[in-house]
Amino acid sequence: MRVILMLIKKEFLQVFRSPLLLSILIVAPMVQFILFPFTADYEIKVLDIAFIDNDNSTLSHNLINEFSASKHFRSKGIIDSKSYADKLMKADKIDFLVEIPLDFEKHLICQDGTTIAITANAINTVKAGIGCGYVQTVIGDYLKEISENTGLTTLSNTAQLFTTNIYWYNEQMNYRNLIVPGILVILVTLIGAYVTALNLVREKEIGTIEQINVTPIKKWQFLLGKMIPFWILGMAEFILGLILMKIIFGINVQGSIPALLCITAIYLLVMLGLGFFISAVSENQLQAMFIVFFLFIVFVLLSGLFTPTEGMPEWAEKINYLNPMSFYMEVIKKMVLKGCQWADLKYQTIVLSVMAVILNSAAMLSYKDSSK
Amino acid sequence: MSEIDIQHINKRFGKVEALKDINLTVEAGEVFGLVGPDGAGKSTLFNILTTLLLPDSGSATILGMDIINDYLQIRRSIGYLPGVFSLYPDLSVQENLDFFAAMYKSSIRDNMNIIKPIWDQLLPFKDRPAGKLSGGMKQKLALCCALIHKPSLLFLDEPTTGVDPVSRREFWDILKDIQHKGVTVVVSTPYMDEATRCDRIALIQNGNIIEINTPNNIIANFKGHLCTMPTSDIFGLMKIMDRFELKCNYYPYGEHFHIVFYDDIKKALPAFEQFLEKNGRVHGEISSIQPNIEDCFIELIQMKL
Repeated sequence: MRVILMLIKKEFLQVFRSPLLLSILIVAPMVQFILFPFTADYEIKVLDIAFIDNDNSTLSHNLINEFSASKHFRSKGIIDSKSYADKLMKADKIDFLVEIPLDFEKHLICQDGTTIAITANAINTVKAGIGCGYVQTVIGDYLKEISENTGLTTLSNTAQLFTTNIYWYNEQMNYRNLIVPGILVILVTLIGAYVTALNLVREKEIGTIEQINVTPIKKWQFLLGKMIPFWILGMAEFILGLILMKIIFGINVQGSIPALLCITAIYLLVMLGLGFFISAVSENQLQAMFIVFFLFIVFVLLSGLFTPTEGMPEWAEKINYLNPMSFYMEVIKKMVLKGCQWADLKYQTIVLSVMAVILNSAAMLSYKDSSK
Repeated sequence: MSEIDIQHINKRFGKVEALKDINLTVEAGEVFGLVGPDGAGKSTLFNILTTLLLPDSGSATILGMDIINDYLQIRRSIGYLPGVFSLYPDLSVQENLDFFAAMYKSSIRDNMNIIKPIWDQLLPFKDRPAGKLSGGMKQKLALCCALIHKPSLLFLDEPTTGVDPVSRREFWDILKDIQHKGVTVVVSTPYMDEATRCDRIALIQNGNIIEINTPNNIIANFKGHLCTMPTSDIFGLMKIMDRFELKCNYYPYGEHFHIVFYDDIKKALPAFEQFLEKNGRVHGEISSIQPNIEDCFIELIQMKL
């Protein structure tokens, strides 16, 4: 016991004596929290829009006014021809063109259907896609408004058709709520795998491991003495992340916090085991860094933080069963945003526990205390 | 019973035979020196004896315990100072000592009597990070860490390599003091002058032990007759020496040229002077000297070839 306590004390002494590591531990999460959600924000602030009004009726004028009133659009006015619109778009003066057809008002009243052409500058596909959604939403809102005022039922049906877009729109508005918990996951992963792997390999590099190996301490004591301090650091980092999330973005954890901490503790064990395993197979910090970096990128891309996992081919989804980060990402999203409880996350908890046991056993076996 | 008993140990790294059939014993209370050039196999032998490395074949006992089966008990009773400084550079002197003491479930105070002379020298620097100590001080700290659990056997792998001459002398005085406190010391060194401070030495070359004896006996067993002469033309001399017909051995020794004659010196010396004159070599005075351990080592290697 005294041996392990001393190992832990030594580890903390070293962490607090290393200004670089300490600042990484404290500054990195802050920078990530402050910078990341804004850079990864898919919400489009203002779109420039122009109109061709072939109908020139009250309803078409009202529709154009509706766009001017929206905070997402800046109206560049009504123009005469498509060729002029083309010129404007090439000059990056407008992002969207809305073309209202002849007899727009008449068709609406008669309820026999009409087509509004939306032209988008698709150089930036994300902007075009999201902008189209916005345009449709504005039109949908407008049609709904008319139907409410006039009692035309088919129009409200049309508006119904747009409700999916409205939902989509809202999700984009809340994009930050998705990315911020994702940053929590990245933080915990980095502490768990990166810092641990580098720390252990450093002992190899400077030869201290040899001095430790000639002492009678046992393998498990040494690894436990490494694991506990980094586990504590990881948990502290996670709690710091939760506090920052609350302060900066006002996101509260919807689910049970004790359950969240428990699963995080298990996930950290997975990452610590991974870090140890990597340090056991690499000879210097550079090798360890490359391995962790490679795995990290794969984990992040597969985890569904930036791209939805549903869009992946089936084989990629199968690989994801080996990706601890994707399980944990699910836990975090469900806990923080959806308000799930222990019972809802039993499966993820079990999978992560199994991974923790396997990786730590692998680390124990591959770590040599001599050439025996 | 011997403190260390090594029987037929072999170790090979790929194609390199690092140790070839090593046999030696170390008795309680002696300072035993392992002397040889870099790459001779000293560190490999140390790693095997300190249970960090397994031999390919052969066996060894340390304090009566088998290096393979009883390695944990062995680790409890030996101290090891590795060839490279391997303490935590970011921990202070005191913290390093406390840490390693705890690894042996011991403490600085428990073993003060054995480490006191070194501890007194380290005391002014006890709060300094180990990485910021001078080379000599680093070695003293490392020695202190190796002694912190009062081992009965101490292994020192090239403890004085890269240490200034004054600190080296101090270090050897400390080793003698440790020996007097009842610790058996096994030390490796590439410096021949340090070999004479050991009770017994083993000369090791290319994984072979060439000779095991006391330094005095090794010097007494020197076969030839050693002469030295100052010269500024060592290269020129080396080139012509194979034309000298008498049996001899020669090598540069600093600014001197050492030549060992194996024939009657009364005939050999005039013959050599004549030979130098004939080849038009300017030379200083040739004088007979007592061989030192280095001359013996060179002779032993030559005889082995």
